[in-house]
Amino acid sequence: MSRVKDVAILGYGGYVPRYRIRASEIARVWGRDDDALPIKEKSVNGIDEDVITMAIEACKYALRRAGIDVRRIGAVNVGSESHPYAVKPSGTVVAEALGIPPTHLSADLEFACKAGTEAMQMIAGLVSSGLIEYGIAVGADTAQGRPSDALEFTAAAGAAAFVLGRSNGDEVATIEHVVSYVTDTPDFWRRAHERYPRHASRFTGEPAYFHHTVSAVKALLEETGLKVSDIDYFVFHQPNYKFPYAAAKVLQIPKEKVDPGVVTNVIGNTYAACSPLGLVRVLDHAKPGQRIVLTSFGSGAGSDSFLIVTREGLERKRNLAPLLDTLIARAKYIDYAQYLRHRDKIRTS
Amino acid sequence: MRPGIRPQEHWRSKRFRYMLEVLRCANCGTVNATRRSVCRRCRSTSLVRERLPERARLLAFTEVKSATDVHDEMAPYLVGLLEFEDGTRIVAQLTDADYEELRPGMEMEMVVRKIAQDGESGVIVYGFKFRPVVS
Amino acid sequence: MRTVYLAGVGYTKVSEHWDRSLTELAAEAALAAVRDAGVERVDAIYFANAAAEITSHQMGISAIVSEELGLSGVPSVRVECGEASGMAALFQAHAAVSSGLAEVALVVGAEKLSDLMPEEFNTVFSMTLPYETMGFAGVTPTAIAALLYRVYMERYEVPQEFVAQFPALMHRNAKGVPHAQFPFEVKLEDVLSSPPVAPPLRRLECTAPCDGAAAVVLVSEESVGGARSGTVTKLAGVSLRTDYASPFDREDPLHLSSVALSVEEALLRSGIDRDELDVLELHDSFSIMAPLVLESAGFSPKGRSGLELKEGRFELGGELPINTFGGLKARGHPFGASALYQVAELHLQLTGRAGKNQLDRAKSGMAVSTTGFGALSGAAVLIGGDSA
Repeated sequence: MSRVKDVAILGYGGYVPRYRIRASEIARVWGRDDDALPIKEKSVNGIDEDVITMAIEACKYALRRAGIDVRRIGAVNVGSESHPYAVKPSGTVVAEALGIPPTHLSADLEFACKAGTEAMQMIAGLVSSGLIEYGIAVGADTAQGRPSDALEFTAAAGAAAFVLGRSNGDEVATIEHVVSYVTDTPDFWRRAHERYPRHASRFTGEPAYFHHTVSAVKALLEETGLKVSDIDYFVFHQPNYKFPYAAAKVLQIPKEKVDPGVVTNVIGNTYAACSPLGLVRVLDHAKPGQRIVLTSFGSGAGSDSFLIVTREGLERKRNLAPLLDTLIARAKYIDYAQYLRHRDKIRTS
Repeated sequence: MRPGIRPQEHWRSKRFRYMLEVLRCANCGTVNATRRSVCRRCRSTSLVRERLPERARLLAFTEVKSATDVHDEMAPYLVGLLEFEDGTRIVAQLTDADYEELRPGMEMEMVVRKIAQDGESGVIVYGFKFRPVVS
Repeated sequence: MRTVYLAGVGYTKVSEHWDRSLTELAAEAALAAVRDAGVERVDAIYFANAAAEITSHQMGISAIVSEELGLSGVPSVRVECGEASGMAALFQAHAAVSSGLAEVALVVGAEKLSDLMPEEFNTVFSMTLPYETMGFAGVTPTAIAALLYRVYMERYEVPQEFVAQFPALMHRNAKGVPHAQFPFEVKLEDVLSSPPVAPPLRRLECTAPCDGAAAVVLVSEESVGGARSGTVTKLAGVSLRTDYASPFDREDPLHLSSVALSVEEALLRSGIDRDELDVLELHDSFSIMAPLVLESAGFSPKGRSGLELKEGRFELGGELPINTFGGLKARGHPFGASALYQVAELHLQLTGRAGKNQLDRAKSGMAVSTTGFGALSGAAVLIGGDSA
């Protein structure tokens, strides 16, 4: 059943900026009702933060836990839909800031909210094939939402990073299996040179998020011969608080297997970092020997679904870097005007 | 004239700005932050590349209310005087903190942040700042 | 080495001269100095300026200055040492005259900062700090001044008013001075209640962007005979020293060793003691710089200059009057010209031409200039009266 040959998560790191805005504050500005908000609050990048800086933070935590020699890292993949440059890689800045030597493969990826798991899958392939010894996969976003659009309530900022390599006896987890399920589905997009994305409203639900997510999970379970009851945690992409539970319901997954990997209510949809941060939260809480199914979703559209098994190294390594809940707890609330400044939505020239 | 940001200059200096890489004099121990041929203190040519630690102690701090062309959009921002374990001192921006939260003697950690950007189309300069330790 | 005399001075009002260019201002001061000296020839021009490339789109500006003076053909050199450019130019001109290379040297400093937008001024001022380690990061002179201020108050356990009273003294001295940028009183309470620019540093503890030009004419002892009696002082000693650009890279950030060394050396070259000085013009680009200069140069015990000011020692009628026309704070700080204002004002004091600010029996005086926070400093001693 081990379709992925000998790939381990040696270190993991999540990063959430310090700033938060309450959904009710956004609702206040646009005159929406408080009782129908998709989440409670979302994270907002600091004025000096972007995908590159957040990726560096997450990678530093992941490297602390991995405890490997950065000079042996052979690939850095950064998945995001908000790379600071349209042309000029994010990954090269990240790698140099981490002291990773030039002899590595650098790739920036974009697939809406799926770019982070894509990075994981590609790094896993490079490790498994023996092309590289270690690699880092990052999902990071400072997601855009047009002011007053429904997305503005959820589009958030965060990063998650995973150091992958062969099992070394001290690994956090192993990646056992992965499937992808993608189609051409125009549910959400951002054209070149546009500042904000557009979406097809409810079309992003059934034919997009649910169809791809559920299909990917079903394929993963079928290929591995596992049942829902064999899995300890399911982590889904979580564009809002409802969707992961609705997907779980379709798949007949009990709520308690989903709860630990849901962080969207307090940090929002961090796009490429979204389901990876859910995995980070689960790793912060899981015991060795547990099975996790991580399933991303990216508009456009597609899902990657991973079977991950936690290992003995997890408990030794967990406290080598701040837990996700610690980062989430250092919340500093800002109002909508400050939010506009942080998100560079105020024209000053 | 707007001096802006020179990509070449930032590229030359990136190892110091991204990783606090310095040249330590093998003879007298002095830290030389920028590339140079001889130690500024003893003129020794034995300079060894080294990364300063990521933790430092905050000695004093202030808040810059109005700044230069390329930094002004981020103003006001905090600036601190920090000291590493070996006594080397550095002046750097502080981040992820309010003025009121800071205390002399606090332990701070290095993070890489956006330092400045040259308008909407120019390069972005990333570099070290310090923040209260997150643990 | 020949003895060098200062035979004449000239200066413009420090102000926002919207209608004048950098070289126009330089010419006004230079021609006034040449008139004041009564010299017939100029053998060399030293033009002190910090930021002509940025403020006035000009390189090779020394030739344009000589043209503007009607002195094309005369060797002309621009000296750029930041805020201490004027002192560095004086140092060079002194060397030329004392060595015999020139009989008459014109030293003129000018700066045109009012054409800059506020953030551009911050950019230019920040260029006095090392760019690769500080400037790039948005560390400004106000930030460095604030950090030094904190370290100073903490080490010597003095309250802020001990430092903040220096600007108040400068404004007392500048009151009614025609060439001062701010010729009015500002009380300590006003300083302390002005908006913070980088706490604890407040707006009225900083200098403001301005334009100005000042000039002095140096002559050799052979040529001094032609100058009018009583208007000549002796430039008895000039010294220039350097240090690490960041004060926090030095063993003691509160000790400006370039100031200490240049003051010591200028006194040695002049053959006089510190105690014999009757007046001191010092570099107070920020309030905190005044105590740092006084204490580094040995005029006050460490941490005590504020107390001495409170006791009246630095007032016009005190034992060692400082910044008798308002200093950088109140007379104004047009970077490249500032040290030449200092020297010109000393000359006025020593030749009895200081008007309402005239000191009794002032025979010798010193000017201390620096750039940044002691990266480069210089000191000059003038001796007047019978001793000249």
